[in-house]
Amino acid sequence: MHPLQATLRRGFARPLGELREELDRLWAPLTAAPPLHGWGSAERSSRFPALNLSETEDALIVEAELPGISSEQVEVTVHGDELQISGSRPHRRAPAEGETAVWHRQERGTGSFERSLSLPVSVDSTLVEAHLANGVLRVTCPKAAAAKPQKIRVTAS
Amino acid sequence: MNTPHQQQPSPRAVEQSSETTRLHYSPNVDICDAGREVTLVADLPGAKPEEIDIRYDDGILTLHAPVASRPLPGRMLRHEYGVGDYRRSFQLGEGFDPVQITAEARDGVLTIHVPRTAAAQPRKIAVTSA
Repeated sequence: MHPLQATLRRGFARPLGELREELDRLWAPLTAAPPLHGWGSAERSSRFPALNLSETEDALIVEAELPGISSEQVEVTVHGDELQISGSRPHRRAPAEGETAVWHRQERGTGSFERSLSLPVSVDSTLVEAHLANGVLRVTCPKAAAAKPQKIRVTAS
Repeated sequence: MNTPHQQQPSPRAVEQSSETTRLHYSPNVDICDAGREVTLVADLPGAKPEEIDIRYDDGILTLHAPVASRPLPGRMLRHEYGVGDYRRSFQLGEGFDPVQITAEARDGVLTIHVPRTAAAQPRKIAVTSA
């Protein structure tokens, strides 16, 4: 097979969600807002915030570290199967009038961020709960009834 | 392609402590020297304010924050970051008053104020005309 053909096949076999994320990754450095690197170096965390995701029988749980962001500064939306976390982190305090400040380290990112995640199963958007504590956001998305495992009762004839 | 899109956790700069074999995360910081004091701001998501330990010894400021693991329930589908203790040291040098160091934590961000001793503060010398 022609190598290009193989590439194309692999490309088209990808789920759309993954393709979209790939595009997000490509776009991130080009868009105007500087990506917020809450931690890690720029190369490692090109997308902010980093996300952990787990699945239980009843729900999907998403966790993100958002240090320095209050509950008023972050927005969590669920639209269909897409979860979006957006907000902004305040800029560094400018030195007071007449004060000469020397920055020795500026590792903490600032500015606006936005990250979308395609959820692998349908969730009930009306029951999604988000909780922020000590800079850690945890979003619990209860699965839609149709996405929960159904136990089939076996009857004897 | 039903396998979940999994990624290896990408830990922040990690340093190995000499005392134990536990891995520590090196938090990102901003350090600003405004003359009368040095302000240090560190991202410590997940750290409880009452558990953050700050020490100043012989010109070296060390911050350490234990962070208990908080595994997500169920099966992991995506794992982009790890969770662990934070530790980082900073060489500040002479001229600071350890007793005057104050710190506050809020929303997973720690701010440490390290004031200079009066003798070490930069002074503006007024020039008088003869």
